[in-house]
Amino acid sequence: MGKILAIFGVLLAILVGAVAVDRPPPRAALVLVDDADFITMDPGRMAYMQDLRLAHAIYEQLLNWDLTTSEARVIPGLARRWEVSPDGRVYTFHLEPRARWSNGDPVTAEDFIYAWQRPLMPETAADYSGMFMAIRGGEAFFNFRTQQLASYAGRPASERTPEAAAALRAEADRRFRETVGLRAPDAHTLEVTLERPLPYFLDFAAFGSWSPVHRPTVERFVSVDPGTGRLIQDHTWTKPGTVVTNGPYVLADYRFRRDARLEANPFYWNPGKVRSKSVAIIIIEDQNTGVLAVKTGAAHMHLDVTADYIREMLAQTRRGERDDFWAFPTFGTYFWSFNCMPRLVDGRENPFHNAGVRRAFAMATDRTAIVENVRGAGEKPFNVLVPPGYLPGFRSPAGLPFDPDRARAELERAGWKRVRPGEPPVNSRGEPFPVVEMLFSTASYHKDIALALSNMWERHLGIRTELRGRETKIYRENLKKRDYMVARGGWFGDYADPTTFLDLHRSTDGNNDRGYSNPAYDALLDRAAAEADPARRMEILAEAERLTMDEELPVLPLWQYGWYYLFRPPERDGRPNPGGLRGVALHPRVMQYYWTIEVVP
Amino acid sequence: MIGLIARRLLQLPLIILAIYTITFALAWSLPGSAVINDEGRKPPEEVLKAMERQYNLDNAPRFFTQYLYNATGVRWAAVRMGVDPGPPPAAVFDFGPSLRHVDQTVNAIVASSLPVSVVLGLASILIALLIGMGAGVLGALRPNSWLDLSTLTLALVGISLPSFVIGTLLLIIFPVWLGIGTVASWGRPQDIILPALTLSLPFAAYIARLTRMGMLDVLGADYIRTARAKGVPERAVILRHALKNAFLPVLSYLGPACAYAMTGSFVVEKVFNVPGLGQHFVNGVKNKDLFLIMGVTLIYSFMLILFNLVVDVLYRWVDPRIEHD
Repeated sequence: MGKILAIFGVLLAILVGAVAVDRPPPRAALVLVDDADFITMDPGRMAYMQDLRLAHAIYEQLLNWDLTTSEARVIPGLARRWEVSPDGRVYTFHLEPRARWSNGDPVTAEDFIYAWQRPLMPETAADYSGMFMAIRGGEAFFNFRTQQLASYAGRPASERTPEAAAALRAEADRRFRETVGLRAPDAHTLEVTLERPLPYFLDFAAFGSWSPVHRPTVERFVSVDPGTGRLIQDHTWTKPGTVVTNGPYVLADYRFRRDARLEANPFYWNPGKVRSKSVAIIIIEDQNTGVLAVKTGAAHMHLDVTADYIREMLAQTRRGERDDFWAFPTFGTYFWSFNCMPRLVDGRENPFHNAGVRRAFAMATDRTAIVENVRGAGEKPFNVLVPPGYLPGFRSPAGLPFDPDRARAELERAGWKRVRPGEPPVNSRGEPFPVVEMLFSTASYHKDIALALSNMWERHLGIRTELRGRETKIYRENLKKRDYMVARGGWFGDYADPTTFLDLHRSTDGNNDRGYSNPAYDALLDRAAAEADPARRMEILAEAERLTMDEELPVLPLWQYGWYYLFRPPERDGRPNPGGLRGVALHPRVMQYYWTIEVVP
Repeated sequence: MIGLIARRLLQLPLIILAIYTITFALAWSLPGSAVINDEGRKPPEEVLKAMERQYNLDNAPRFFTQYLYNATGVRWAAVRMGVDPGPPPAAVFDFGPSLRHVDQTVNAIVASSLPVSVVLGLASILIALLIGMGAGVLGALRPNSWLDLSTLTLALVGISLPSFVIGTLLLIIFPVWLGIGTVASWGRPQDIILPALTLSLPFAAYIARLTRMGMLDVLGADYIRTARAKGVPERAVILRHALKNAFLPVLSYLGPACAYAMTGSFVVEKVFNVPGLGQHFVNGVKNKDLFLIMGVTLIYSFMLILFNLVVDVLYRWVDPRIEHD
């Protein structure tokens, strides 16, 4: 018995010891829940929502978005004023002279130039490096560096020394200075020259990936690999205690898969605007647990509710049974893709190569019924790709309506004759319309949508379908290989311009999973790019969308993505509501500037 | 005893190598790209190629050998002894970077999550021993009584109800309805109780059945009858004589149970938002994060082998009559 007790005792002692060393920090003034952990805290590499929100909290960009309106608009950030040259190619930003890094160093224009070179170095592997190619010479520099590294790797081993690698870097840095359109006439003036006029460049200047970085801190963790000549970035520079930032907050603590803690930056030049002095972001992957955390008061707000019971939460909100659930439309579109290639990967003829077939399927789709009865998340059904309303001056086309009769006529014109109702239509060779394989990722609600679509197409067109639910990775791979007939898709706009959506259908675009290729469409986009008059440019882009949404239908848009927050309202029955949140933005870009949010005392 | 330990330690590298090879073959054949993030934006093609080259993702044999070279500490030793001119690795056993959470290394991920899993696992095993052995002894003392039947029923429920059901129920009953305990918090002793209880139930159920069976066997044995005949009080018969032998099957179950409890609690981690190691098995595979998959598998198999060895040693210590071959 004594020995058994001894075993118990040792286990218990280890447990008590381990618990004793793990102490949680005191509760922050504002506690937020997110369901995804940070991918990277290096702003130049960021591409995910949770990372970008952090970038806006701990870094300050040249401009900010105006989150109080649901139209695209920028307001001053670190740059207090700016000018644009008459030809729309040179932007001059005047930086706030009082701006400081969190160690007291002044923030200068050079910090931006240094930061923006990093995503243009191929070894940084920045998801958004393409955005930075808008700067004059940016793309050429990226290609130069790629070439430079390739030729270095081809040298004999004896010539790949630390000195040679350092010289290689010096050459690249010099080249960047000489050829890329970034200049700092003085410490507080930044002059950006673009490759070509970009009416939405100010939106880039407000984007988290375009944050400045503190050069001495980053450089302490950069080394040059003599073997390949590449810069090796040690990510330690982004860790709390090391990283130096210039935003309203500093990163005080971060525990992977647990939480991040932000404290007001003592050197921030405009401390008056920081409403909550400390912010905790708890990572709760499980939706139920995240919702319960807000419900029990462990957190003030959930930043991304995707629980299966959104429908019920909406119904409760409509019935007035709850006031803590917030739904709003975003700058994103849920759609299904048609494979537009002439042949399928297995060599069969692809019926969806014919735009008439795609139009028929689109008009046989009752999106209102899907959105209201199947999805049920209060989103807005629509039949265009670019979400209407957010971009001032952009007119959406009419799109195709739900019209089963026109759909059948369209299918017949495309060469598929109906023999008898309920049977698949046949072509001139008497072959029936092939079984349509519907590809989707098994996570989330996509199967329900697939079933609804399948039912409508069968009922209105006599088409047979087959559901192919796949793991996300496999779904992605099938999509990239264009190994599908129709597939679930979706897109969130990256910047405030129609091209952030319309580029998807460019024949050379990396995200053109549909294999859609139309010289007339590409020509329209090229014309728009060359157009100096912003109003005229918007008209050309509207024409491009009309072409794809009224005639060509490479995708079948279903609804404008909604987004859902959970937090108690600032007021209840006209009186302040303790524990409620003030200053939360319900903005189509789903951005949140944490410094504007405060808990009602 | 020394022979046993030496033999097991000699087998260890071979077993680990076999596990490593099988895991590698499975993980490598996962479809999809390891360097493309599912919802992120795709960087230019040259960047992806360069990344694949950098991490040996374009060459299976090279990845296989390089990973072993780094993870087993051979690189570290080679650099130290001047055989390898390259820069010294960040750690002796370097499990590489995470391909998904690009700022993290597998070493850092394991260092932050393994202690959490160990705490949760230990707590749950302790609770399981308390509940399980208590229920088992009670049941064995009055076989087929209502007490026995109800503990057996509870054990059946514990084994068959999935942890996400039990976990969610506990969350709704305690923090939400009764206001006792916490949601999605970790670090304080009160945070550990609910997840540990959830995780412990299947183990408790199993231990209860092992204890009950062992006790029933032992209580019918001659030496127990002798002890009772000699007038040893019933308490001492149960605690000193019977329980010790009935505990042996429980002890041998504890090895795998400990290893399982400390690493395999994905569902419990998710429901209670415990930042442990279990999630990284599942997420690693979902994201095809090869370094993470290989790293956690190696560490888990090492732990499993080690716990089995510890249990075997303890077994002999508790009951010196047992021989090991």
